[in-house]
Amino acid sequence: MTTKTSLLKVILLGDGGVGKSSIMNRYVTNKFDAHLFHTIGVEFLNKDLEVDGHQVTLQIWDTAGQERFRSLRTPFYRGSDCCLLTFSVDDNQSFLNLGNWKKEFIYYADVKEPEKFPFVILGNKLDVTERQVSAEEAQQWCKENGDYPYYETSAKDATNVAVAFQEAVRRVLAMDERTDHLIPTDTVKLHRKPRSAGTCCS
Amino acid sequence: MHGPCTGLFGQCLVPPVDSSFDAAIGFQSRARSGSTSQALLNRASRCSYFFLYDGSKVKGEGDRTREGICYFYPEETPVDKQELLCGQLAGVGRCVSELSSSPVRILRLRRNKYAIRMEGHFFWALGCSADVPIASVCERLDQLIDLFCFYSDSVRQSYQLNSQETLSARWAQYFLHLQPGSSELHRIFSCLRTIDSTNVDPLLLLKAALILQACQRCPLVLAGCILFRGRVVSTQMSPELTMKVMVHESETYAKAQSSSSSLDAAVSSITVFLTTSELQYLQSAPVHKDLSSHSTPHRDAPQKKTRLSRTLSEMASTESDSSDLGPPQSPHKMSFSPCLSESDNSVFSPAPSQSTADPLNPPPQSPEPPFSNGRHSPEAEEEEALDESCYQSFHSNGGGDSQVHHEGGGSAFDERSSLNGGDGDAARDFRVGDSGNEESHDDEDDGAAVGNREGGCGSAQGDQGEDPLPPYGGFENPEESPRIPMMLYLHRVKGLVLALLTDPRFLSDEASMEEVYHSSLASLNGLEAHLGTVPPVPPGAPGAPGPYIFAHFDCIQSTLTTNLSGRPGGAPEHPFVRATSLLHSHFCNTKTLQEAIIRSAGAAVYGTRSVAHETYFQQHGGSLRNSGIPNHQDSAFSLPGKARHRLLKHGVNLL
Repeated sequence: MTTKTSLLKVILLGDGGVGKSSIMNRYVTNKFDAHLFHTIGVEFLNKDLEVDGHQVTLQIWDTAGQERFRSLRTPFYRGSDCCLLTFSVDDNQSFLNLGNWKKEFIYYADVKEPEKFPFVILGNKLDVTERQVSAEEAQQWCKENGDYPYYETSAKDATNVAVAFQEAVRRVLAMDERTDHLIPTDTVKLHRKPRSAGTCCS
Repeated sequence: MHGPCTGLFGQCLVPPVDSSFDAAIGFQSRARSGSTSQALLNRASRCSYFFLYDGSKVKGEGDRTREGICYFYPEETPVDKQELLCGQLAGVGRCVSELSSSPVRILRLRRNKYAIRMEGHFFWALGCSADVPIASVCERLDQLIDLFCFYSDSVRQSYQLNSQETLSARWAQYFLHLQPGSSELHRIFSCLRTIDSTNVDPLLLLKAALILQACQRCPLVLAGCILFRGRVVSTQMSPELTMKVMVHESETYAKAQSSSSSLDAAVSSITVFLTTSELQYLQSAPVHKDLSSHSTPHRDAPQKKTRLSRTLSEMASTESDSSDLGPPQSPHKMSFSPCLSESDNSVFSPAPSQSTADPLNPPPQSPEPPFSNGRHSPEAEEEEALDESCYQSFHSNGGGDSQVHHEGGGSAFDERSSLNGGDGDAARDFRVGDSGNEESHDDEDDGAAVGNREGGCGSAQGDQGEDPLPPYGGFENPEESPRIPMMLYLHRVKGLVLALLTDPRFLSDEASMEEVYHSSLASLNGLEAHLGTVPPVPPGAPGAPGPYIFAHFDCIQSTLTTNLSGRPGGAPEHPFVRATSLLHSHFCNTKTLQEAIIRSAGAAVYGTRSVAHETYFQQHGGSLRNSGIPNHQDSAFSLPGKARHRLLKHGVNLL
């Protein structure tokens, strides 16, 4: 109870096969398995880390990208603190679908102020040589859709994965600080869940 | 009720006991669950007595019987009462087995019937009220002993190594586990409690199956199952083995609840002991089960194999192709189905009649299990007609014209069965010997009915008991065949548990452990989140029972599908449960029986079975026209058609 630990829920969304599960596994267990099966529904792992002096427990939710798993994954969007929209740089369609993923998230997560919600965009599979999406295209999209941070990652080589998650945490913390200033101090803060208090079903 | 004893042994060996045992039962049921009518109904189905008696401790004249009582349930029974029951049953059992040269399987004393098992000096008895089918009692006793051996290895050795108190606690735990407050239907079929699959997305079942397959990528992992809140989500093991694993799971669940779960409690493991045939079954990859079941088991078999199963992703399929998913249940079913061809007999004898050995995979060359259908009927029926007379129409294999109207005490229609309508109290035991001789013990009263197992297979026990009785048919004698130690690994995520049976080396192999842990953690978290959001069906939710009741039992997977609420003894359901119990016993005993209708003045229940399933159906409403004689206009005869029609939407195809 000496240092305050917050539980932050971040969710990975994007087309099937872009590497969401691999990104999560690389970040949490530092392993890469090229033969992962499709994720069915949702999965999640926790990771403790320290960002700018804040102790946080990151709860990373990995989701199924395939359309047929849609009804299984959407109930779990709620309560997310940050959304990592993921595409694969060797698959143009997955890049074109980013807008749909954003819309789906905002709808099912019931985000009150979509323009302020922290999204982070990941272009995965940087290790693949045949790119279909250029870095410029991706950055352009991010700028036009809300000035989101963009990272090119490779779960296979562990490139930029940790950096991207740290950035996600920073965005959330920055959001919170901003709202802290706006809200009178005697209100109860519901947004963040102190880890010690969350017994099991928070 | 309490007339003179008629059975030979009953008369000479079991003098009518005073009513103190009935008093003891009454006391016990009040103590346990209050004196409501619900408790009375429960009491009828529950086992009232269980004891283990070690004859080697009582040899001389001066030795007191209590020295030999290793465990007695109910524990609060006064010792002299315990001695009375143990002494009588053990005495009768021993005497009969010596006279008849075959082990005793069932004894009847007053209103209770006792399943008996004797091995060496050990004598077990499990007593239930007389209206519980004999097959069920016997099976439950076998399960109980089997459970003990699964967690403690040999009984003899356990009593040498551990204090009696420790082992008593185990017997008590297993005993209570085997008579949980589950619905009566579950008890009749002794089936696995599974999650309500109608309420769960089948993709989640696939997810569970894939988690298990992924774990098997570690060659030290033999097989596993996934349980959620005490119910099976997916299993790779035989139903019998799954049931045993679930006992430990419920134990750790209780602990996790009480000790405000900490993280290090998430993973645990204990040693368990498998029979050679269980191990053999697990070690053979599903597709090769037929072939490998004839090889002798090797202790070092795990070293030879590489992988038991492949995850779907390893099959050369590309992503996002829905065809590579396959039907959701297929990984589950796959592991059982190859056995279908192995032995018709094993298929025809539903699980309740044989328990210890794996019924799906009987060891080669072993004698037939004692209760396999047709050869030897463990009992005819405890059948009291539903309420009054019963008309049964049986369509057996042979001919469609075999509608038999049966009344009174005659046994016109089938020499193997007894039907006695009219007299609700009458109960009979029939035994059909191996050679086709039929010996029946009619005991309508308090005497002891004695059933022997297969003639000629047993020899009288020597005084020293050095050579224990030969194993029961297909059963393995836990004292004789050594069990092989294995690890049971449990990984708990709240209400969800991954249970794996592994090679003992798995625990010392840190890399393997870590790999299994990390490869399954995220999926288990996710599966728990998914299953946790499925709203639990409130108990007894369907207030109105609906226009019909059905129960569909899958003998292969030992699972039950029903629209009956879980609460036992509900007024409109009770006749259905009793009829189902009765019909199930008939199906167990009569191999050729495929369809039956059983009816009373007020209700009719239709039962049908195939090699893999048994289905029971009752239609509510609509007056049954019952004129007292068989009549083709009778509305009961429309039941089969209605059942076919109605059950289709539950995924039950009776065509």
